[in-house]
Amino acid sequence: MFLRHEGFRRLCSARDALKDYYDPPSIAELAREVGISPYHFIRQFEAVFGITPHQYRIRVRLDRARTLLATGYSVTRVCMEVGFTSLGSFSALFSRRGGEPPSNYRRRVLRLPPDRRDLHLTPGCLSLLGHLPAATRHEVGRNFEEAGDRPRV
Amino acid sequence: MRIKLTSLIVDDQDRALRFYTEVLGFRKKHDIPVGEFRWITVTSPEGRDDLELVLEPNANPAGKAFQEAMFSQGIPLAAFEVADIAREYARLDAAGVAFTRKPTPTGPVVLAVMADTCGNLIQLYQPTE
Repeated sequence: MFLRHEGFRRLCSARDALKDYYDPPSIAELAREVGISPYHFIRQFEAVFGITPHQYRIRVRLDRARTLLATGYSVTRVCMEVGFTSLGSFSALFSRRGGEPPSNYRRRVLRLPPDRRDLHLTPGCLSLLGHLPAATRHEVGRNFEEAGDRPRV
Repeated sequence: MRIKLTSLIVDDQDRALRFYTEVLGFRKKHDIPVGEFRWITVTSPEGRDDLELVLEPNANPAGKAFQEAMFSQGIPLAAFEVADIAREYARLDAAGVAFTRKPTPTGPVVLAVMADTCGNLIQLYQPTE
């Protein structure tokens, strides 16, 4: 699939518009903005961003929810902040995507010592390398020690 | 001092691993859980086994802002050399990969730009000299 500059730029604008928690545009509106049918809009969006516009919207809201929960906001407040109107729907979706209810996530993250919290929530570039489980360090370290300058082919 | 690791931030590590192995054809080298995330690296079957590309989680807001801005401006964050760019373009296009630039002669290379479905534009290039 080849996207011309203008079409690509409009897809990026549509992606940005999907971050509006409170008044997100519909797929039909976004497709109109991009100048293609809803079917082609969804297809192109998925080819570029890897997920459908609907999935993208959910991901943005849940990412924001995780950030807010980790700062100590209550589950109810987070639910409202990221644009959900039903606490039940929010909790169910959060659990399905994240593997645990938002209340559990909040409790677990807030219990972490501050120096571990950053690693869990916002790992810096390549910082995970310094926190590999002990049992795997030999495997990764060996690659550094033994690889030398041997070309593989 | 040697260059052994380089990294790309990706907005979904599962999808990134699938794209870089199943679509591009790289090999998984490491996939190790670390807290909420994973230490994932891939290597090229056409290159050195010890030169690894890290698929890094894009959880840091600063990283997200950087990645989205570069993407919106059409700027690739990595470049991979290929032996036959016309063949790679045809293969990846058939696999549904979105390109923002078709193979185009530019100075000493022919280059193309594609989306990796994980928030990055990637440049493919074939040296011509």
